[in-house]
Amino acid sequence: MACETMGAIETTIKKAMEETTRISATQLGKRVKTPDGRMLDILSAIDMQVNAGEAVAILGPSGSGKSTLLGLLAGLDQPTQGRVSLLGRDLGELDEDARAALRAGRVGFVFQSFQLLPGMSALENVALPLQIGRKSGARAQAELLLREVGLGERLSHQPRQLSGGEQQRVALARAFAGDPDVLFADEPTGNLDADSGQRIIELLFGLRDRVGSTLLLVTHDQEVARRCDRVLRINAGRLQDAS
Amino acid sequence: MNEGWLSMAHWRSALRDPGLRLLLASVLVAVAALTSVAFFADRVERALLLQGAALMAADLVVEQGEVIPQAWLDKADSLGLRSARSISFPSVIVAGERPLLVQVKAVESPYPLRGRLRIDTPDGEVGQAPAPGEAWLEGRLRNRLDVDIGTSEIQLGETRLRAAGILRDEPDRGGNLFQLAPRLMISYRDALQSGLLGPASRVKYRFLMAGDAGQIASMRTWLASRLKPGSGLADLENARPELRTALERARRFLSLAALCASLLAGVAILLATRRYVDRALDSAAVLRTLGMTGAAVLRWHLGQLLAVVLVASLAGSLIGLAGQQVLVLVLGDWFGEALPVPGPRPVLVGLLFGLSMALGFALPTLLKVGRVPPLRVLRRELDAPGLAGWLVWLLAAAVFVGLMYWQVQDQRLAGGMALALMVTLIVLMLAGRLLLAALAPLRRAGGTAAMGLAALARYPQLTLLQLAGFGLGITLLLLLAVVRVDIVDTWQGSLPKDAPNHFLINVQADEREALMALLAERRVPNSGLHATTRGRLTAIGERIVRPEAYTEMRARRLAAREYSLGFSAEMQADNRVQAGRWWNAEEAGQPAFSVEEGVARSLGIRLGDILTFDVAGQIISAPVTSLRSVAWDSFNVNFFVVGTPALARELPVAYLSSLFLDRDSESMTLELAERFPAVSVLDVRPILSQVREIMERGALAVEMVFLFTLIAAALVTFAAAQVSRDERAREVAVMRTLGASRGRLIGAVLTEFGLLGFIGGLLAAVLASVSGYLIAVELFDLPGRFSPSIWWFGIGVGTPVVALVGWLATRRLLAVPPMQVLNSG
Repeated sequence: MACETMGAIETTIKKAMEETTRISATQLGKRVKTPDGRMLDILSAIDMQVNAGEAVAILGPSGSGKSTLLGLLAGLDQPTQGRVSLLGRDLGELDEDARAALRAGRVGFVFQSFQLLPGMSALENVALPLQIGRKSGARAQAELLLREVGLGERLSHQPRQLSGGEQQRVALARAFAGDPDVLFADEPTGNLDADSGQRIIELLFGLRDRVGSTLLLVTHDQEVARRCDRVLRINAGRLQDAS
Repeated sequence: MNEGWLSMAHWRSALRDPGLRLLLASVLVAVAALTSVAFFADRVERALLLQGAALMAADLVVEQGEVIPQAWLDKADSLGLRSARSISFPSVIVAGERPLLVQVKAVESPYPLRGRLRIDTPDGEVGQAPAPGEAWLEGRLRNRLDVDIGTSEIQLGETRLRAAGILRDEPDRGGNLFQLAPRLMISYRDALQSGLLGPASRVKYRFLMAGDAGQIASMRTWLASRLKPGSGLADLENARPELRTALERARRFLSLAALCASLLAGVAILLATRRYVDRALDSAAVLRTLGMTGAAVLRWHLGQLLAVVLVASLAGSLIGLAGQQVLVLVLGDWFGEALPVPGPRPVLVGLLFGLSMALGFALPTLLKVGRVPPLRVLRRELDAPGLAGWLVWLLAAAVFVGLMYWQVQDQRLAGGMALALMVTLIVLMLAGRLLLAALAPLRRAGGTAAMGLAALARYPQLTLLQLAGFGLGITLLLLLAVVRVDIVDTWQGSLPKDAPNHFLINVQADEREALMALLAERRVPNSGLHATTRGRLTAIGERIVRPEAYTEMRARRLAAREYSLGFSAEMQADNRVQAGRWWNAEEAGQPAFSVEEGVARSLGIRLGDILTFDVAGQIISAPVTSLRSVAWDSFNVNFFVVGTPALARELPVAYLSSLFLDRDSESMTLELAERFPAVSVLDVRPILSQVREIMERGALAVEMVFLFTLIAAALVTFAAAQVSRDERAREVAVMRTLGASRGRLIGAVLTEFGLLGFIGGLLAAVLASVSGYLIAVELFDLPGRFSPSIWWFGIGVGTPVVALVGWLATRRLLAVPPMQVLNSG
């Protein structure tokens, strides 16, 4: 009887942990072939997990594999070893379409190079994830978000008509459109000057606090990393320690 | 930088650029298609000319009233030409007790130089000139004379000849449709010994020559200054109107098909360059930042482009050579052993064409590379100032029209194509603008279809470029796929199965009724009787007609010859009035002439000129009230000059008719000969079948050439889809990152390309219908018609094919992990 009770408690705890774990990686590795035919390990034996509402920074120098790790955790690329779980689903069991469906409306992204679509206006770029998620009132919500990031007057501007800082603010608005459960940010200040970068970080954390998204942020900037709840250090494709 | 050009490493790296690869493929296919067509068309055309030559039994013929000088034979010999002489004259032969008027033709070996002579002898079929002492008789001559082949003897002047065979086929028999008397063929030597070639006899001496085009041209030049007034020089270009028309049409079909293929390939080059330049701008900006001048950057890319074009042109020429050989193998039976070896010219043409196409279609776009601002290194969105889109197309079109003219040497065809091309581009661009305006509101919507349609509105320049590419591709394909069939059908239909295959000549006024009654009784389809007489043109207005006053050989010949003048109140159905007006019932009572436009052009006859003819000593004059074109290959009764019935009243006219006789023609011919001894029956079936053969082979050749157009069209479609590949790759990656499903993206792409295909196909159907109609009427002198199937093909095939191409272009992008694309910049 006691055993059964213990078993039930363990199951409940495991389930509760699964429910609270938004991202996890087990023995994750990525190996690629170099132009001269050799095999190169970009990532190896990564074990980590990020819980709901947590803000985690992955800190490391250039070429340490941190962006590759973000791509794998978000299901934008596939590992050569190990498993990734995102929002309670094992990505290895999902095909490309199912991974996309999992992201739709629940996962937001901010990239170092903004990745706005050049043919679309600021408003269209922000409305895009809402339209993909088939949510109603996409344009109205997008407009609100753009106002929130201070671009209410630039709705119809195309990316090439905006400065780098402004483009990243559009990207932030797009990332938070639809109130995502998880937000992946890849060096969001990497292409910006110190002032613009600072403003983006303030906006990013401000929006995250309002929406309550889990945040996984990749950076080489210790100051930015310090704003997160937890910092994972990565070097030469391996996680060093946690703080 | 230049020293690295020759290294393999440089090219390995350069050819990783998809734009350059596409450019290489476009030039390769353009040149391969063009040279295949050029090689093949060159050989087919030469074979067709040879076939035409077969109907003259030679490539070049001189005809005159005097003996052919020995010096001419020596000259022909020294030029390496094969030559033979022939003599023809009317005479009376006697076999048994029966005298009969015949047209004697004396030939020497190796007659015929082209074509085939076919004689039935008791020992079997033979094909060369008769031996001395032997004579060959036309079938109807044997019927009339009642001779036994192999044994009976015939008296011709002072010689006695043995009737040795029946003349079945004589290649140059059709030369004069109005030859009255039956043919007797003898050896050249017997004619000289017959004692019939006195100064008063109506003897025509002919000198036949055959060889390659260069030899013939040299001989023609040499002969030109030595021909006396009244001598005629005939080659395929100025002889045999019915054949010339057929050949000219066949040549135009081939040229048109070749032009369509090369134009499509040109558009592919233009699209490929655009992609190459888009990618080159980034590296150009970096090079400029490092201190390279704009001109040096441009030189570097230009050099790279030219090297690629050179290699692709040479490789394309070789593929073209192989391609046409495959065609020859597939179609070998067509021409038997007659297809000439390909000449080296198409390789040169391919090289020049490749280089000119690259310059015309690629250079205007490439110029941007030299003007890229170095600041692009910091702000990638900064574009280089380039020529306006319309100017790029205009320059390309101008170069193409120049090349086209050079290739076909046909002002009308080149001009027509140029105009059609301009209109097509303008229509496509306007339609594109309208489409963009119509799609703008869709950018607000969020559905799958709206996503695809909004994509069109997002990249207006790309959309216009793609629409122009797809639209032009489908238009040219439709033109060749549907309109070609229509034109070929109409062409072949102009010579129906029951086209007249016999002519009745020299019907007298008092025989008309009985003859028509006999034809009606035997149910022989016929053209009715046409009044005709022979006359010589003596004056045009105040100007006396003298052959030596003309420089052009055809004009000299026309000025010297006697015409068969026709007289009719109605115009023949296959004639078309090109200037002036055909006479009405009232005007038919007044004297007037209508002249065939080619003759009018050669002799300088204009509307309103008073023509004077000498008809057996009687002088008649009348004004020219219309100029006509004549479909000589219809085999209807046609005349260069037709007069009103009023003119014929006082003249000695005979009548002629054309008939269609089927397999019983032998017995019908015999019956006609018995009942109407003065009437001659002329069998034109050999020429008719020759013209039919040219039509069939011409049509088949065009089908083969069409294959290359298909390949070029596929390339254009691919290139048009590839133009937006970079933008599309990024868009797909971002959309997938944001959670768009594969099905949704494919749906959007199918909608986007499907709409482009639908509009391209719809416009193409309109454009191809109109240009097809104009091509038939203006270029081929055939009745124009609109084909309903063009709409089904245009829209029904255009939409799914372009959608499929879009899907194929995107499918591979979907397989790439989004991270890979996003990391690339």
